[in-house]
Amino acid sequence: MNNKKNRTGLTELEDGQTGIIVSVLGGKTLTKRLADLGITSGTEVKVIRRTLFSGPVQVEVAGSRLVLGNGLASKIVVETK
Amino acid sequence: MTDEKKINIVLAGQGNSGKSVVFNYLTGLHQHIGNWAGKTIEKREGTLYYKGYTIDVLDLPGIYSLTTWSVEEVISREYIIHHHPDFVINIVDSTNLERNLIFTLQLLELECPVVMALNMIDLAKKKGITIDFKKLQGIIHAPVIPVVASQGSGLTRIIDKVIDLKGEKADHRIHRYGKEIESCIRQLSEILQGIDLPYPVRWIAIKLLEKDNDVTKLVSEKRTGVIDKVRQLNGYLEEIHGHDSSVVIADERSHLASQITREIVKITPDRKLSLNEKLDAITTQKFTGYLVMVLILGGMFLTVFSFGNWLSGVFDTIFKGWHNLWNFNVGDSFLASLGWAAIEGVLALVQIAFPYILPFYIILYLLEDWGYIARISFLMDKLMHKMGIHGKGCISFIIGFGCNVPGCISCRIMESKRERFITAVLVTLVPCSAVSVIIFGLVGKYVGLLWALSLYLFAVAVIFIAGKISSKLLLGEPVELIMPMPDYKTPHLKTIAYQTWDALKEFIFIAAPIVIVSGVVIQAINLAGWMPAISDFLSPVTVTWLGLPAITGILLIFGILRKELILVMLAAFLGTTNFSDALTPQQMITLAVVSMFYIPCVATISVLWKEYGWKKAMAICVMEILFAILLAGVAKRILDLIF
Repeated sequence: MNNKKNRTGLTELEDGQTGIIVSVLGGKTLTKRLADLGITSGTEVKVIRRTLFSGPVQVEVAGSRLVLGNGLASKIVVETK
Repeated sequence: MTDEKKINIVLAGQGNSGKSVVFNYLTGLHQHIGNWAGKTIEKREGTLYYKGYTIDVLDLPGIYSLTTWSVEEVISREYIIHHHPDFVINIVDSTNLERNLIFTLQLLELECPVVMALNMIDLAKKKGITIDFKKLQGIIHAPVIPVVASQGSGLTRIIDKVIDLKGEKADHRIHRYGKEIESCIRQLSEILQGIDLPYPVRWIAIKLLEKDNDVTKLVSEKRTGVIDKVRQLNGYLEEIHGHDSSVVIADERSHLASQITREIVKITPDRKLSLNEKLDAITTQKFTGYLVMVLILGGMFLTVFSFGNWLSGVFDTIFKGWHNLWNFNVGDSFLASLGWAAIEGVLALVQIAFPYILPFYIILYLLEDWGYIARISFLMDKLMHKMGIHGKGCISFIIGFGCNVPGCISCRIMESKRERFITAVLVTLVPCSAVSVIIFGLVGKYVGLLWALSLYLFAVAVIFIAGKISSKLLLGEPVELIMPMPDYKTPHLKTIAYQTWDALKEFIFIAAPIVIVSGVVIQAINLAGWMPAISDFLSPVTVTWLGLPAITGILLIFGILRKELILVMLAAFLGTTNFSDALTPQQMITLAVVSMFYIPCVATISVLWKEYGWKKAMAICVMEILFAILLAGVAKRILDLIF
């Protein structure tokens, strides 16, 4: 059984990979803003794809597709199996 | 008596929920668009006459939450609280139910009567999503009506429901948060009981725990003691949850939405990739995405310019005889000439608005309604970030290539003031269709197409550098892109028609007065015989520094009205359209460079004025004049070496 859990920034996930959000490293305005879009700790998030040269990340969370700027996405800490 | 037959409703919902489709359907032609007091945000109101009722409909700005994040959100929240609409119609995108529910929960906290319109239920079905709306009704204690706004189905049922429920007390049973949060809310509510506040007590308690700045300020003005208690409770929540208490509540709300979604939604996953998935992949993947973007945008510009050239040619033949007709019937006295200058201004607007701006807007809104525009923002975000703005700014640039006026207006899509301003400044440097006329008519035709295209590349480089500089000069953190990625859907033609019409009207209203007035003023200066004096006065710059003929001073003055006048009047002064007789290649390129950057045209200046105040508008003009003179002078000296 491979239950080892890794924590990384959302930007480190491969395209198509899923993780559980652990925390958001940001001020309260940003964290709240994201929570209003369904990005909160404990929620599953899937990276769909990103653009060239570490651009923004397209993700699927709370049943919706969202685009997050790269700097922002790297502040979202996720846990992968 | 009359009051009984009057109902006012507001439409509230997240972006892309189809709110404006509902609004247009309900109000049809009985709508008017203004601005929120002191804001540049649109206020759309309309009236519906139905079954003997007069129903006033207000479309609140599309928003993602009711916490004070952006101006739109504050406007919506304040409106609902202070104007007590009879009903808030919450338009929900059923293909993105969970995210939309977070907003609904906040709406319910405001304790206003809510009717939920579960929109795009047909698209949800296609995606294999079934929603038990009866159950949802029971959970949120508000009527839920499935609708397909684009086909108009279900919308009258909303109004029937509203009429039905009018006068009845709405059920404000509230969803509950976790035990500790509820206990904090209860404690705060008790203290707040005695204070006279225009908001529901429970809502205030929640906002205090969320550390909402506006609400905290309001309460502390009434009674300072409350804030100490809030601090204590916030500390308590933070200790338990390990997060800032403001985040704790937003988190819980989000989890609540996901819990509700799990209870009412069933998804039958479709094994094969849907058309939407395939399209999304092609249009956003690393390589095909950029290729498709170039093709789509290229096709768009090609269509607009070829259609525009054709139609403006048609207008040219129509308007050709008018000047003589005017001179013949009205005369060519001083006043009659001024009158003609005013008419010419109107004709010029017609010549820009219908051949170029109209098709441009139609294609733009078509792409937006289809879902493509968000993909451009996604693809271009990285590059835009180098200029201190995010991907959405790219849309303003694209519009700016058609015309700087709507380009600058569209900067409203940027979230922060800083980004809005940077984007607007950069848009004024984008070569619009009028500048393209100069580039192609002068440089493209007489120096070579390659030179004309290099000028475009040069403009892009200038914009890039200007972006880098202005993002360094204007302090503040760049805002990161946060944008929902819409599914592709069949464009809704009626919505596109409405949007195009609104945008065209706005363009004409902003541009018309200033174009006409400044046309008359410049004509008056011309008739007074001051132009030679002005061109003499400008000759140290135009002749000595830029190496251009002295008449260009006059051309550049007229060019402020409309850039293409530079070329039109050059032909008039020379008495020929064969510009190579009068200008050397390096003079043509120098003149084109000056024309590209030297000042935004009057219509653009008036937008800058309206959106950012006259000081900033003037500052941009002065900066660009100095910049263009410097740049073109340097260019001339380099060109002298080449030719």
